[in-house]
Amino acid sequence: MRSTLSPAVAERGPLAAAAEAFRLGAAQTLSGWPVLIGRCLFYVLLMVVLSGLWDKVAAERVAGLAQHARVETFVLYVGATEWITLSIPALHLKFEDDIRGGALDVHLLRPKPYLLQAVAQCCGWAFVRMLALGATALAMLNLSGRAWPSLQALAFIGVLGVFGALVGVLLYALAGLGAFWARRVLPFQLIVQKLMFILGGLFAPITLYPPILRRIGAASPFAAHLYWAGVQAIRPSLRLFLTGLAWQALWVVLLSLACAGLWAAGVRKVLRAGAA
Amino acid sequence: MSSAVSVQQLTKRYSFSRAAKGFGGALAPEKVTIEAVCDISFEISAGERVAIIGPNGAGKSTTLKMLCGILEPSAGGARVLGLVPWRERKALAYRIGVVFGQRSQLWGELPARESFALLRRVYDQDAAVFVRRLGELSERFGLAELMDQPVHRLSLGQRMRCEITASLLHGPALLFLDEPTIGLDVTAKAAIRDFIREHARDHGETVLLTSHDTRDIELVCDRVIVVDEGRIVVDQPTDQLRRTFLARKLIILRSQAPRLAIDMPGVVARPSEPHTTVLEVDTRTARIDQVIAEALALGGIDDITIEDPPMEEVVREIYAVARRR
Repeated sequence: MRSTLSPAVAERGPLAAAAEAFRLGAAQTLSGWPVLIGRCLFYVLLMVVLSGLWDKVAAERVAGLAQHARVETFVLYVGATEWITLSIPALHLKFEDDIRGGALDVHLLRPKPYLLQAVAQCCGWAFVRMLALGATALAMLNLSGRAWPSLQALAFIGVLGVFGALVGVLLYALAGLGAFWARRVLPFQLIVQKLMFILGGLFAPITLYPPILRRIGAASPFAAHLYWAGVQAIRPSLRLFLTGLAWQALWVVLLSLACAGLWAAGVRKVLRAGAA
Repeated sequence: MSSAVSVQQLTKRYSFSRAAKGFGGALAPEKVTIEAVCDISFEISAGERVAIIGPNGAGKSTTLKMLCGILEPSAGGARVLGLVPWRERKALAYRIGVVFGQRSQLWGELPARESFALLRRVYDQDAAVFVRRLGELSERFGLAELMDQPVHRLSLGQRMRCEITASLLHGPALLFLDEPTIGLDVTAKAAIRDFIREHARDHGETVLLTSHDTRDIELVCDRVIVVDEGRIVVDQPTDQLRRTFLARKLIILRSQAPRLAIDMPGVVARPSEPHTTVLEVDTRTARIDQVIAEALALGGIDDITIEDPPMEEVVREIYAVARRR
């Protein structure tokens, strides 16, 4: 008796599977809606504290900031950077679980690249979070009575925020792929997180830094992750938008190549040794 | 019949560093090499259902991993469906289905239907073919009511039915099953075994199964390969193995009396705790129902359990016999 289940395959590229993984990632986040609401409430709490801080700075003209004419807009900057930060899922922990827990075997048995699917799934998670947190941000802005940025600035923040989130996902992916060589990826994640804080300008724009640090920061992937979207809340301009987009595109390419390289090296190790 | 799996002198060695004793040892760790699989060769014909059994650490999973293409051998060769697994992993992936009893391929938070939809894309399945296959499998496995529930809410047996469905959706010619019934209750095990046997028979699939449960082997497979310490010690049809080695059952009786004395040919009492009597029954000589009837006639029985001897014991016996030959 011959199979009615004989393979009926017209091999296609990996993008259809990645798109499905993105959709499932989004569905996964939506299915955990109580957690999503909790995340939005945490965002509100953070912004209440941080806006209090920046409003005080603006009111008292803290030394060194006097030359920044629009310190009050720093609240919007932090709102944008926190919007991106809180949207990024812990992809590094998923990689650690899969690589160290043995689930990698299941993924290696499939014909489509797991790395691309995992990143796509993570982008699906991030996308839904960005929508929910974005709506929360706009609601907070409305309730706070602050001046709204122009529509153009909001559009620039939106576009740079989405690409910034992609850079963030890739940075965490890079940290997570360390699981091929280290039992725990927390140290890598902490390094990435601190660099996001320092060079990415999480709480304050890197334009406040000394010139040399500012230049290093602006060219780093951490600024591509956070700063370039945030700066549109302070100084919206097409030139800065395009500059930011260019840096983000560059870092998406470089980080993708780095992830692919680490993945290939890690898989080679697992295929030889049987486990990470 | 054409060969589905062909293995020649396959060997896998693992090397790792271990700190030797003393201060010097910490500075210069010694390199240790172990042979997980050693020079094994066998052929599996298309449509055959074969079990690889052996105690923990015997090399079953290592062999399975090499044949799936997710582990490179240290020496030797293998062809699975005409492909070298570790060099043509992607091409092979379209043609094999794999179930790891202890690892899920489904997304826990989402309904199984969502995972199946992803697998359709992963395996580039035509939508109409996919829907037909899913319908067939769903009907055979009674999945209609399960598919829309989040996987983490399913029982282990229900999840395993979904896992096997997931591994069959792309129509594999060869199915690898690593401990497919582990942790399941008796009813769930029976359902899984029936399904695997009937599906493989109806669709001409080749099955390669590893298990610690002798019933999986007896009820699903036509042939058994026994491995121990990385080597094949027995390779024979299941019927023959059953006659030789799987003819023993353990009957465990819990009784009010400290000990039950049952004197029948083919029945041997094993050492046990008070109020528990463990009888080893040679089913070629004594019938299980007769032994139980004899025990019930003694009265005061609180509980009766029938078990297969542990796989380790069976394999030890097989190994001992193989050595004597």
